[in-house]
Amino acid sequence: MNALLVAEDVKASYSSPRGFIRAVDGVSMDINYGDVLGIAGESGCGKSTLSNVLMMNIRPPLSFLGGKVLLDGKQDLAAMGREKVKAQMWGRVIALVPQSALNALVPTRKVGAFIKDVLRYHLKLSARETMDLAERRFRELGLPVEALTKYPHQLSGGMRQRVVISVVTLLNPKLLIVDEPTSALDVSTQKQVLKMLLHLRAKHIVRAIVFIAHDIAILRQIATRIAIMYAGKVVEVGPMERVFQGPLHPYAYSLIHSVLTPEPEVRERGLSYIAGEPPALVHPPEGCRFHPRCPRSLPICSREEPPLIGLGEDRFVACHLVLGRH
Amino acid sequence: MGNARLVVSAALFLAVVLFGLAGRWAYPVDPVSRVGGKLQTPSWEHPLGTDVQGRDVLAQLIHGTGTSLSIGITASVIAVAIAIVVGVISGYRGGLMDDSLMASANVVLAFPVILLLLVVAVFVPVRSPMVVALLIGFTSWPGLARAIRSQIMSLKEREFVFLSRMTGCGGVRIAFVDLLPNMMTYVFTSSVVIMSAAMLAEAGLSMIGVGVTKGTSLGTMLFWAQLSDAVRRGFFWWFIPPGGVLTVACASLLLLATALDQLFNPRLKER
Amino acid sequence: MIHLLRYLIRKVVFALAALVFFVSVIFALPRLIPGNPVGVLVSKLALQGQTDPERIQAVYRDFMDEFGIGLPLWEQFTGFVTQLLRGDLGTSISMYPRKVTEILAIYLPWTVALLLPAILVSWVLGNYLGALVAWRRGTLLDKLVTPILLTVSRIPFYWFAMLMLFAFAVYLRLFPIGGTYSWGLTPSLTWDFVGNYLRHYTLPFLTWVVICLGGWAVGMRSMMIYELGSDYVLSADTLGLPQRKLLRYAFRSACLPQVTELGLNFGFMLSGSLLLELVFNYRGMGSITFQALSALDYPLIQGIFIVLAAAVILANLAVDFIYGLIDPRIRTGHLRR
Repeated sequence: MNALLVAEDVKASYSSPRGFIRAVDGVSMDINYGDVLGIAGESGCGKSTLSNVLMMNIRPPLSFLGGKVLLDGKQDLAAMGREKVKAQMWGRVIALVPQSALNALVPTRKVGAFIKDVLRYHLKLSARETMDLAERRFRELGLPVEALTKYPHQLSGGMRQRVVISVVTLLNPKLLIVDEPTSALDVSTQKQVLKMLLHLRAKHIVRAIVFIAHDIAILRQIATRIAIMYAGKVVEVGPMERVFQGPLHPYAYSLIHSVLTPEPEVRERGLSYIAGEPPALVHPPEGCRFHPRCPRSLPICSREEPPLIGLGEDRFVACHLVLGRH
Repeated sequence: MGNARLVVSAALFLAVVLFGLAGRWAYPVDPVSRVGGKLQTPSWEHPLGTDVQGRDVLAQLIHGTGTSLSIGITASVIAVAIAIVVGVISGYRGGLMDDSLMASANVVLAFPVILLLLVVAVFVPVRSPMVVALLIGFTSWPGLARAIRSQIMSLKEREFVFLSRMTGCGGVRIAFVDLLPNMMTYVFTSSVVIMSAAMLAEAGLSMIGVGVTKGTSLGTMLFWAQLSDAVRRGFFWWFIPPGGVLTVACASLLLLATALDQLFNPRLKER
Repeated sequence: MIHLLRYLIRKVVFALAALVFFVSVIFALPRLIPGNPVGVLVSKLALQGQTDPERIQAVYRDFMDEFGIGLPLWEQFTGFVTQLLRGDLGTSISMYPRKVTEILAIYLPWTVALLLPAILVSWVLGNYLGALVAWRRGTLLDKLVTPILLTVSRIPFYWFAMLMLFAFAVYLRLFPIGGTYSWGLTPSLTWDFVGNYLRHYTLPFLTWVVICLGGWAVGMRSMMIYELGSDYVLSADTLGLPQRKLLRYAFRSACLPQVTELGLNFGFMLSGSLLLELVFNYRGMGSITFQALSALDYPLIQGIFIVLAAAVILANLAVDFIYGLIDPRIRTGHLRR
């Protein structure tokens, strides 16, 4: 398993009138070739910010405070800076399907014309060649070729989402980051989108996917690994099914147990919810960020922050309770 | 930062108001009678000189400012009243009433007031400031009416079911009593903007002869100046002051409006 | 294509309806005053110094005829409309027996020659300036230019025109002090005349452009800032597309409301030009309006009213037409305007 992208102790924060919001506060993460890494967590936990940081899409009021982002173990994107990473990587090596993909296409240009703009800028092809490429890719991904002649507002929501995904991956980027691609869609369209993403990976059009969602049920359908974030930090990482069946971190446990899935064990477990609210990231709590809401917190939790430790077999947890036991 | 803007604009405008309303006590010269030689340049006796008929320009300026201000306020009040009624009914009732009200709003909006006044001018040759204020007021409501209408429509979606269950009383009354007060800050800010637009309109209309013909306003001063070729003959003391006061008044009003807007809707700093 | 046609037909129908409305209004107005309207109007003639009783009698008879007083209202209206459709706007009272159409035909072209180029130039320049300032938002250029633009747009335009005339023509003597062309010249397509005309034309043209430009620039700046922050620009950015491409996309979207504004503002700009012509003593519709008002010449005023109203309706229609071509949502029937 080779690492495609490795984030080491990455920190980024927003400046706001209330102070600095430490949205991503020391996050380390491996994305391997062939992965579909799901990043889960409540709203405001920092997942979208992390997705921007991974590709160095940093603009005020967001600022990068430290850490490394290593591509293929060699290049540090953080050291390169936004402009260089944009020029060399965006679209070609790393691609992002943003959260508001439904409005991501230029409204005054037909889909085909916009694709032409993208391809001609990156690849310097002729108009005819770009159309051929676009048509081929659409056919391959099961999208109607007529969509190329339409304006974005003429396409349905689900179609638009899929078109955006195919446009973003036209240049076969190694890493595809998708941010909440299914939240605004109905169930059958969600299935189509997930199918398309898996197809992209299977055909090696993309080599790895980072899938950001707050809905664990969706992640379960597509992710191979899952990372759970809370208040700007990663609390647990591991293979999807293993984490789902046996979450170790108390927050991961509560999160997974608040999901309704049609399985007998779940019916027995019952639903739970997590009392309280995530902390404001301007002044995070001392020690472990989850300790004020944690049902199993120990005295040490309010003093020392638990580091993210590997337990073997690709399992990582940041929790004093768990670490003490092992 | 926003506070400075508020204070400065309010102070400027207040200064203009003071000048227009109280100036006549500080400088009790009659603006309409001949008090000196014709077309005199500014002097101690007549700080802004005299016009082609020997009338004191400063006195005219003081009275004119007062007149223009009252026209502005009157027109604004009328326009806001009409806009509220039309906007609320249109937004709440919807349907045919809405369509026809908005169609007439579009007509009033796109059409230059001057056309209406052209025709009125022939049949009502003597027009007092209040008549002009009325006419300007009657043509300044569409913009605000539209804004009120869309706000009512969106509020209606949210609160409608709740409200109609709570009380059994007439819909329109609910609209006025419950929904309207939420928009009062916006309406107030808009009325300030309408006032400045009305003052500018009056001056332009009076200047071409379609506005005030009875009495002195900033516009009539410009009218007489234009008639006497004041610009080409270089009588700067006559045509510069009215425009200057008008600029200060309207600019301070508009600045005040943006300051009020920031006061009522504090926003985070934009990126 | 069919959506576009449907859209255009609707707009034409509305335009015609508006025209009919205004014609009806102008027809009804003089007939609303108690008594004989012609009597009232002709009496104004006496006020203006015309005292020859035979002359007044002749005028009175002619106008009774023209207005159709005494005939049933319906016949008056059809007579009025037929007259209009023939292109006959009536006879002037103050310049009797000259026809209104004949008089206005002298003044209208000059107004068009000044107004149309000024509108176009200020719109184009203003939009580009606004986009430029929006792109360089926060920089020195923005901090310097934007307040200046805002300030200029706050000054009453007619007063600004007076200041311009005073500063550049009277004081600095760089330009002729008003007028359309020098006294004694007759319009002809000679270099001499054109050159002379252009010298007189420059100051009012420049004044108009400066005044209008600020408004467009400020509006465009806000629209651009809004568009540059929208989702599609951010995602085009993420796809690696360069800044100039993003600006082109945002500009294209931001232009749409500016086109609509053009239509909405036309009426205001038209009435503004009347005032401007007055200040510069430019012999276009402005000066004839002023004259007609001083003489209380109703037929002439009525003619001016109809011409200006038709101009506004036509301009709005043209703008609607152009908008229909450039907004893709209209062509595909997804937007009802």
